[in-house]
Amino acid sequence: MSGREFFVGRYEELGWVYSEFESKTSIRINTMNVKEADIVKRLESLGIVLEKIPFLENGYWICKSEFSVGATAEYLLGLYSVQEAAAQIPATLFTGLENKTVLDACASPGGKTVQLADLMQNTGVVMALDFKRRRLGALTNQLERCRVKNTIVYQMDARESSRLDTKFDRILLDVPCSGNYVADKGWFSRRTIKDVKNNAELQRQILAEAIRVVKDDGEIVYATCSLEPEENELNIDWAIETLNLEIEEIKCHGEEALTNVFGRKLDSSIKNCRRIWPGQTQGFFVCKLRKRACVK
Amino acid sequence: MKPIKDFVGQFGANIDLDESLIVKKQNRYFLLNEDLKRHVQRDFFYAGVYLGKVKGAIFFPSFTLLAMIAEKKANKVIVDKKTAWLFICGRDIFKRGILNVTGSKRKGGYTLIQNEHNECLGFGKILRDMSEEKNRHKVFVKNILDIGDFLRREKRASFKHKI
Repeated sequence: MSGREFFVGRYEELGWVYSEFESKTSIRINTMNVKEADIVKRLESLGIVLEKIPFLENGYWICKSEFSVGATAEYLLGLYSVQEAAAQIPATLFTGLENKTVLDACASPGGKTVQLADLMQNTGVVMALDFKRRRLGALTNQLERCRVKNTIVYQMDARESSRLDTKFDRILLDVPCSGNYVADKGWFSRRTIKDVKNNAELQRQILAEAIRVVKDDGEIVYATCSLEPEENELNIDWAIETLNLEIEEIKCHGEEALTNVFGRKLDSSIKNCRRIWPGQTQGFFVCKLRKRACVK
Repeated sequence: MKPIKDFVGQFGANIDLDESLIVKKQNRYFLLNEDLKRHVQRDFFYAGVYLGKVKGAIFFPSFTLLAMIAEKKANKVIVDKKTAWLFICGRDIFKRGILNVTGSKRKGGYTLIQNEHNECLGFGKILRDMSEEKNRHKVFVKNILDIGDFLRREKRASFKHKI
């Protein structure tokens, strides 16, 4: 069970009509290093045409540039990061990040880790994990380039976060996922439903571990760039039933997530998650979870 | 700690670093704060502010350390826009691109390179006595390290991954 026809058929069953989209380049201003107005002016003076992304605080689409925005002096100085628009959403969903202890459980290549540090204005502590050593190089390059000061990086599997012996105020689960066809041209020819199910299982294990290390009143943001409900709505439905979690309402770009998947009725609170079908951005799914308070 | 102090001293600068907050991991040095120090475990990969590493007898600074030196009184060469871009691409600095010099101008010294916004782009070695040499078309500062290195690292990493 794979191929374009198979997956497009599933999307249609879920109520979305498939269409080809080109991924738009977008950047995020690192406000810990520069004032937004100053960097916008500098980039415009280089001939770059920017458009403010209406649903993000510090995000801009690159409408026109004669050169790569990932190779300017301003980029190398850490004044901004190149980060897909939808991928800029999850970190902004946390409340009161300053001085908190935060876990970024699947951190590489580090775009969201830098964003967390930026939102925290380099206060508190971020613990960033990735289990592949090769990916840690990309992560630490980002941290050095963007002058992040509040982060500790470990080579560690997110499913072993308890080894850190720390209870976290906030946890970002930008979990490994199957991705989507907008960000990956060969997606349809490579992916099978078996991959999707394997990833969904891994994501459940990561979610289960996150519950062990989050503080009682802590917040968890779960995100994937997958369009497949097994990795999104179905996993969250499992999590609220099995892990004693509840879904918080969020206000962000995207539409209400599905509460009926291939004829299966899910918990009605799943609608508070956000599903982003490809269009202005790549495909994405995001939600905010909180541990249910124990009733004595 | 000594390699860092010696390196900083080459720029005629002095920075105060709390030794109790500096940790060495293999050959790499990191500066923590009290919060990080409380949380950090022995098997960390990276923490706080990366200061640089020692390889053989040579200290290789991080760009964050260079930026920290640049905040102090130190040898600095401020260059124009075009020269700044060429420097980031790995090129040396000619006298014609220099806008201002502070600190030592003497041959053999080390200097930070900054752009018109006073942002540190890297550092180099002074090849000619800047106050004496009049030829604008000669190399004055040899590029030793520039921020274009971030892109070179990415390239190296993706090449390694491919092979």
